[in-house]
Amino acid sequence: MEPSGLSIAFSLLTDPAVLGLIVAGTVAGVIIGALPGLSSSMGVALLLPFSLYLDPVPAIALLSALYCAGTFGGSITAVLINAPGAPPAVATAFDGYPMALKGEAGRALGIAAVSSVSGGIISVLTLLLAAPLLARIAYSFGPPEYFALGVFALSMLASIGAESPLKNLIGGCLGLLIATVGIDLTTGVERFTFGVPQLLEGVQFIPVLIGLFAVTELLNQARHLGRESVIAAMSALRLPSREDFRRVRSTILRSSGIGVFVGVLPAEGSTMAAMIGYNEAKRWSKAPEEFGKGSIEGVAGPEAANNAATGGAMVPTLALGIPGSATAAVILGGLQVQGLRPGPYLFEEQPTLLYGIFLAMLLANILFLFIGLFGAKVFSRISLVPRTFLWPTVFALCLVGAYGLNQSMVDVWIMIVSGLVGYILKRNGFGPAPIIMGIVLGGLIETSLAQSLIIFDQQWSGFLRQPIAAGLLVLAAVSVGGRPLRKFLGGLLARTAGTARRG
Amino acid sequence: MKRPLHLLANRDSLAGLAVVCVCAVAWWLTAGFDEVPAILSQNVPPTFFPRLVIGTAALLGGLLVVGGIRRRAGEAAGPANAEETSTPHDRARQAGLPPPVFWATAGLIATAGVLIPLVGTLLTLGLVAIALPLLWGERRVRLVIALALGLPGAIYVVFTVALGVRFPVGLVWNLL
Repeated sequence: MEPSGLSIAFSLLTDPAVLGLIVAGTVAGVIIGALPGLSSSMGVALLLPFSLYLDPVPAIALLSALYCAGTFGGSITAVLINAPGAPPAVATAFDGYPMALKGEAGRALGIAAVSSVSGGIISVLTLLLAAPLLARIAYSFGPPEYFALGVFALSMLASIGAESPLKNLIGGCLGLLIATVGIDLTTGVERFTFGVPQLLEGVQFIPVLIGLFAVTELLNQARHLGRESVIAAMSALRLPSREDFRRVRSTILRSSGIGVFVGVLPAEGSTMAAMIGYNEAKRWSKAPEEFGKGSIEGVAGPEAANNAATGGAMVPTLALGIPGSATAAVILGGLQVQGLRPGPYLFEEQPTLLYGIFLAMLLANILFLFIGLFGAKVFSRISLVPRTFLWPTVFALCLVGAYGLNQSMVDVWIMIVSGLVGYILKRNGFGPAPIIMGIVLGGLIETSLAQSLIIFDQQWSGFLRQPIAAGLLVLAAVSVGGRPLRKFLGGLLARTAGTARRG
Repeated sequence: MKRPLHLLANRDSLAGLAVVCVCAVAWWLTAGFDEVPAILSQNVPPTFFPRLVIGTAALLGGLLVVGGIRRRAGEAAGPANAEETSTPHDRARQAGLPPPVFWATAGLIATAGVLIPLVGTLLTLGLVAIALPLLWGERRVRLVIALALGLPGAIYVVFTVALGVRFPVGLVWNLL
């Protein structure tokens, strides 16, 4: 990348209008993150149709700022009302809420804010260094490598979330199948269009996204009406003391490293990073017995990790076009809708955009420190906005967002059907993230597979002759088969030991 | 000892069966795709990738069925084992069916899609802003009315005035 890209991006971002958008994205992110039920993925999905009216740099900067801030916002309600605003903040509640009950809500939020900012900044710096390097490696990638990379990314679905790996993989397949709707680019044949002309170009990504994330959650809220939240008293919010900082600094650094690493892995997101960050903070702590009772390391660990995962997730998203998390998949979709081609060539063609994203994420991380420190009390009150008014507003945004893109009622129906089907799937253990990953990766996987088979003259063994592709496919096989194999071997060993004892 | 059909009666197996059925329908639909000469498709016909995905999903669905049956058979071994192996969803199922408000909300969502072409987007949004809060138990009528007026108003200003999005005005308004 040319150094001029950085200076152009810097000048673009200092434009008051763009700066205002980043500030708005950060504030909106903290609010959305703080509102239980609304996650950064849903926030980015809802904001995506609006962003299409902007130029690519401010649009993606806005979405990236919301992504970073939304991850932090969830910790406010996790600490104050024991209701994590978003899944990545679940682990924060383990120790944040007990601290709040002890009258230390301000201290807990101070630790959370500083840890989040540290993790976020470390991850953005990693993104700045690692993404161009990864892109340089990816220059040598051809269709077989891209196919293998896509399969590897999907295979990682086997390890995300608490749900069954099989269900995650089936969700990924469903996404791939949705991506095949429309005219096949190689042959011009219509597939799954059912005579609907609007489906010839395929199922629009945004209505599906809004349906799966927002309408599904609306129905989920309807099922759980009547749950009350109790807000913990917060006297004053304060920055960590020198003693506190000394206690958590190594936890922050370790968790930031974990967060960046987990974020870089395709499909793995902030939630898993936060859980690992919490467990590792406990494992390395000198006082593990305090965990769960209000340990500041128990707050710092997951907060540094979940925010570090945001920058990490953007590395494969930008450098390879492979999303690092569900929210990154939404941003990737946003890039595609803007007519941009994520991947190594983006670094040559759009250096300004990339530096714009880096700087916007950096700025968002610095901004939410101040927002978190001085506005947490206000945001905690916003989180108590009655659901009876919040969700009609969200649904209105869903309708308008789905319609606005192509001004088509078919898109509205796609959104509604996606939401209803998404709810049924979610109730049966099929989360929305794998489906979104499948839709985003579908085109890349199908095209690169077809091209590879043509190159290899229909011989699948051709993949094994390509070292990078073969390596990625082996990793994919380990990712999918590792857990069942361990289980099988464990059972076999137990049976053998039982037989030996009886003998 | 449980009969085979009873072994199937668990959430994972039923979900797996549903997946297999959907895959069967999807495979059947691929049979209706236009045929293309091999020279044009370069031996990668339009059915190739969808069928590869459908086959994989069906295989995974089959594994889900088998996993559910095995878990169910394990549960038969004793209550302690059952507690250990039941999934969060099996436990959630015991929580019962969704309340009536859930079904009413789902109906309202679908109704909104029907209403837009009839009465227009903005009026539909206003109606949703009245119906959904009332349905969810909101009794502060003044606030509900404020939302019903403010929400479509804000959407009109942001989308139509600022961004130039033209919303459907509805069949009814066109007839008047």
